[in-house]
Amino acid sequence: MTRRIVLLGIFSGIAGFTLAADDALPKAETIIDRFVEVTGGKAAYEKRKNEITTGTIEITAQGLKGTLTRYSAPPDKSYTAMAIDGVGNVEQGSNSGIAWEKNAMMGPRVLTGPEKAQARREAVFNGQVNWRQMFTKAETTGVETIDGEECYKVVFTPSDGKPETTYYQRKSGLAVKNVTVAANPMGEFPVEQTLSDYKNFDGVLMPTKMLQKVAGQEMLLTILTVKTNQEIPADRFDPPADIKTLLDKK
Amino acid sequence: MRSALAGLLLSVSAYAQLTPAQKQLNLDSFEKVWTTIRDKHWQKNPGGLDWQAIHAEFRPKVEKAESTAAARAVIREMLGRLHQTHFAIFPGNVYEDVGTESGGSGSPGIETRVLDGQAIVTAVDPGSPAEKAGVKPGWAVISVDGKDLAPVIQKVQSVPELRELTLERAVQAVLSGPERGKLSVVFLDGANRQQTLSLSLDPPRGQASHFGNLPTEYVWIESKKIGDTGYIRFNMFLDLVRVMGRFGDTAASCKTCDGLIIDLRGNPGGIGGMAMGMAGYLVDKPDQKLGTMYMRDNALKFVINPRAEVFRGPVAILVDGSSASTSEIFAGGLKDLGRARIFGTKTAAAALPSMIEKLPNGDGFQYAMANYISEGGQALEANGVTPDVEVKLTRPALLSGHDPVVDAALEWIHKQRSQK
Repeated sequence: MTRRIVLLGIFSGIAGFTLAADDALPKAETIIDRFVEVTGGKAAYEKRKNEITTGTIEITAQGLKGTLTRYSAPPDKSYTAMAIDGVGNVEQGSNSGIAWEKNAMMGPRVLTGPEKAQARREAVFNGQVNWRQMFTKAETTGVETIDGEECYKVVFTPSDGKPETTYYQRKSGLAVKNVTVAANPMGEFPVEQTLSDYKNFDGVLMPTKMLQKVAGQEMLLTILTVKTNQEIPADRFDPPADIKTLLDKK
Repeated sequence: MRSALAGLLLSVSAYAQLTPAQKQLNLDSFEKVWTTIRDKHWQKNPGGLDWQAIHAEFRPKVEKAESTAAARAVIREMLGRLHQTHFAIFPGNVYEDVGTESGGSGSPGIETRVLDGQAIVTAVDPGSPAEKAGVKPGWAVISVDGKDLAPVIQKVQSVPELRELTLERAVQAVLSGPERGKLSVVFLDGANRQQTLSLSLDPPRGQASHFGNLPTEYVWIESKKIGDTGYIRFNMFLDLVRVMGRFGDTAASCKTCDGLIIDLRGNPGGIGGMAMGMAGYLVDKPDQKLGTMYMRDNALKFVINPRAEVFRGPVAILVDGSSASTSEIFAGGLKDLGRARIFGTKTAAAALPSMIEKLPNGDGFQYAMANYISEGGQALEANGVTPDVEVKLTRPALLSGHDPVVDAALEWIHKQRSQK
């Protein structure tokens, strides 16, 4: 499982792998373990105590561009700040069982239901290794060819929300695509994300290009830097004042 | 001899056949219309029809059409099978007027509406060349640089499918040009005397707003108090951060107001999400929505996220035939929720990204790509928003310095206060 960095949809799996016979599908756990292995190994993941990621966002059809910075730490703390031209600042956070979002258009919002569950799953630190915290079940359901490469199709089932499907290349073991249905108050939307351009950041390979297709729109996330084990202020994951006000009202 | 030649020419003209190239252009136009609806209509079976069968039925008719007018009639008949509004074909000469791009972003600072077939000045921007030249609301615009406006207005009004919004744009296009240029405008003043004024063209009112691939738009927002009533007006739902911020500040500063007037007249819309965001300053109940937009594969609910501080007093929204898209979503949704009372005239009924494209044969083709159902269950695209209180602008009222729509809204708000 790779990161879902921002908005909607991603999940890929992980670790130690023995190739099964051609006519038998490997277990999902095997495929996921292999993913962890080929992207650096469990030990490399576990050396990471926190992460600061920077990148760019491009909503191609509309010509919108922006930047993002994401902080994440165990067990499931995350804070993402995006600045998108013409849209303004978008902030998202998750910590201690609370998930929230605020932007100039809709204002501050405390997430609930499947949207909250999804945001909290995406916030799980080192989710590639800790996928069992996010999903109750993972099953290999078939083999599909993506861009000329055979891929195992693994379906992850969460306790709350829609299943997520990740495609792992049979040859390389890398995750190359995720498909899920994202939920927010406006409705449910199929999300398809392709992952590419894996690069090594402090011993772990991560995709640096993530092309998301949602409701006919395409959004390209490009990861520029990933710094691990940084000094992150203790209050970085605290909800902002206007979110606290909403929480107090509840 | 001359009359005989004229008769010959007329008869040749009457029986003129389309050239093979012209026939092909009509066929290409038919294919563009049919394919666009197949690919972009919000229903997989547009209008509940077997769209492939429609192709088989109508293409031979276009092949047999002996004039562009006949081909146009066939395509219109095909669109008529949809029984849906805003699918239209209009002749190339109308498209040229409708599609007229302004000659530039320069403006003399005049806002107009077509009232009783005349382009009437409804507002003059403060400090603009028009104000400096003494132009007043209520004056009629007769011609611009020698071009009479009456024929332009008549031509556009002759096509029922074209909305008031399109007409206003056609008039505004004539009243614009390159910045620092000049226009010679003939007005009919308050005493019905013709005045010819040379007006400079200034940069448009507002701040340049850039939103992705959209062309630069100039966005302004104004707010004030009329007695104890708050009033806010903005020309587009764009420049998101600034306009949302100012809207929120106005709502917050109006806690003790006896009401709030939101003037969306002439506002053609913009970013749809801003309607939801603004409604959050006016609606305090959770889980409310303005309506739902249905596309082929998705339904987008226009939900309201109540803000921490909400204005709870009476809200009047002013609209007219040039209030479109996001303006209609906002006004229609708040009307349906019982949160606002609507004043003015019926809106443009253009709540969707309805496009007008030029066809290969030169005709214009208008189509809608989604359906929007307001919270009350009505399709805005077909119906627009009908005001609770219909009030029309009139030239005499404007000349006497009154805005009857604002007056009606104020009267209602004052009644609410007195009934408390």
